[in-house]
Amino acid sequence: MEILLLTALTGVSFGFILFLVASGLSLIFGVMGVLNLAHGALYMVGAYIGWTIAIQQEGNFVLAVLAGGVGTVIVGLVLERGFLRRIHGMLNQQVLLTFGFVYVLTNLCLWYWKALPKAPFTAPVLDWSFPIAGVTYSFARMVITAIGIALAIFLWWLQSKTRFGTIVRAGMTDKEMTEGLGINYGIVATIVFALGCFLAGIAGVLGAQLFGAHLELGMNVLVLAVVVVVVGGMGSVPGALVGGLLIGLVVSFGKVLVPGLSMFLVYLVMIVILMIRPTGILGKATTS
Amino acid sequence: MEQEFVAQTWQRQLARFAPYIVAGLVFLIIPAVLPSYAQSVMTRVLIFALFAVSLDIIFGYAGLLSLGHAAFFGVGGYANAILLTRYGFESFWIVTPIAIVIIVVVAAVFGVIALRVSRVYFLLITFALSMLLVCVANTWRGMTGGADGISFIPPPDLGLSWLSWNPASFYYFVFTSFIICFLLMRLVVNSPFGLSLQGIRESENRMRALGYNVWLHRYIAFIISALFAGVAGILFTYHNTVISPWNLGLEMSALAMLICILGGLGTLWGPLIGAVVVILIEYFSGIYMPARWPLVLGGSFIICVALIPKGIAPSLRRLQNRLLYGSVKN
Repeated sequence: MEILLLTALTGVSFGFILFLVASGLSLIFGVMGVLNLAHGALYMVGAYIGWTIAIQQEGNFVLAVLAGGVGTVIVGLVLERGFLRRIHGMLNQQVLLTFGFVYVLTNLCLWYWKALPKAPFTAPVLDWSFPIAGVTYSFARMVITAIGIALAIFLWWLQSKTRFGTIVRAGMTDKEMTEGLGINYGIVATIVFALGCFLAGIAGVLGAQLFGAHLELGMNVLVLAVVVVVVGGMGSVPGALVGGLLIGLVVSFGKVLVPGLSMFLVYLVMIVILMIRPTGILGKATTS
Repeated sequence: MEQEFVAQTWQRQLARFAPYIVAGLVFLIIPAVLPSYAQSVMTRVLIFALFAVSLDIIFGYAGLLSLGHAAFFGVGGYANAILLTRYGFESFWIVTPIAIVIIVVVAAVFGVIALRVSRVYFLLITFALSMLLVCVANTWRGMTGGADGISFIPPPDLGLSWLSWNPASFYYFVFTSFIICFLLMRLVVNSPFGLSLQGIRESENRMRALGYNVWLHRYIAFIISALFAGVAGILFTYHNTVISPWNLGLEMSALAMLICILGGLGTLWGPLIGAVVVILIEYFSGIYMPARWPLVLGGSFIICVALIPKGIAPSLRRLQNRLLYGSVKN
């Protein structure tokens, strides 16, 4: 029973990190029609920046999280304003371009931070465990879960209660009509892109408490985020939440039940869900 | 595309086929006089060209972007390598058909899963399925050698006692295989089946209304395209003598996609040009800056997209038409 609870809590905290990455990926696709394959690489950049601030400069952890987010936004804006803007609406070219950025960002990280992986790090104040219902649970994971919940509520509020969210939703439904109403949708798209990058960067630093920072993160995180988006439904933030938590739990329980094979379980879940609902749990029914 | 209203004099006929003749000469004669390392690079070009042309069937002609095409390249390669090194098979003529059957079976299963959806979902699912295979290759150590992959793959045993393998003879072996596969794929895309595929790409609903089975066309195209990717993978294992999990993954799929887009989609010879350019970039960046080649490769992805989003082939076709007909059409 204790192990069950602990595994579930671990899975939930991992699930919230996946949610942060996947919601950005999903929002960017929903609003701009861009499939950003560099999203995992942006997560990695966030993790490395966090490491530099928190460990190398021995700075404040909150500062590291914010710096990771902001640094990632800057990289993302270069990608969006400098390149993606020129190939608007060309999905194939976007895929190629963003994948080129995976190579470039990974190699730049290798250049600057060298090949040696950075061990997981956390703030001293978070570095303790406490007993909960008979098991000891890491406080850092608790904080990840709390931040994940807070950001999920923030995104829900932003999307459904604010004027900005209304514009975003209108644009997802009918972009031309929204522009016809005098909305500068280009700016909206850029803000959403920056928001997605910020979430990826934050997730990078938060996730570094569990996985550290290394060069394979770009690809590993991308794969998981894609699975989450496929499972949850493309372009849907609630879908990213459901998918993220589901995949987080599957990974966590998979590690306990079938050690070494948890990724197979992830793909199995994905395939089963696809066979039942091809567009994901909360995706729109059309396959467009 | 075809300029049917212009009288076809024999000079024009010649000029129309000039690119094929030039390409044929370049790939047939030049390698004979090159040093052996350059022959090896040319072999790699042809293998990747075959891989990219096979992607073009599903991507360019059927209009479905698969981001997991390397799965079939890798399945072909792994099947071949496992049969040769683990099960003691020797003859090329026995191993290749078995490997092709394995590829077709995997493609048939993946096709059922991936073709439930189209467009971006298709892309994401093919990607996830190929990463599933990477996972299998990494985990199933007894069979696939884990992360190290399988090495010491022997050269193909064609049953010809007079044939000795050197870079030149291997090049011509790959060249022959490439030509056979290329002609078969040409046959497929120019057949009524290939034309209805293009119809589906342009207007799915109209083709459906005309009574075509859209799903079945896509499914068959998916399997054909996988089959030739697998053949490229088989040739790759003989050439490289090593196959490892990354040959199944996103890097390989994206490389094929780069070759296709750089060359020009929806033409079979575009990917051939793309393969020459990309493999030469890969080769020279690997020699001159071993630590920075991903930067060069990634940079070339970005530059390719920024400068020539439609690829090289359409530009060349335009040039050819201008030379032939004195005006710009298409």
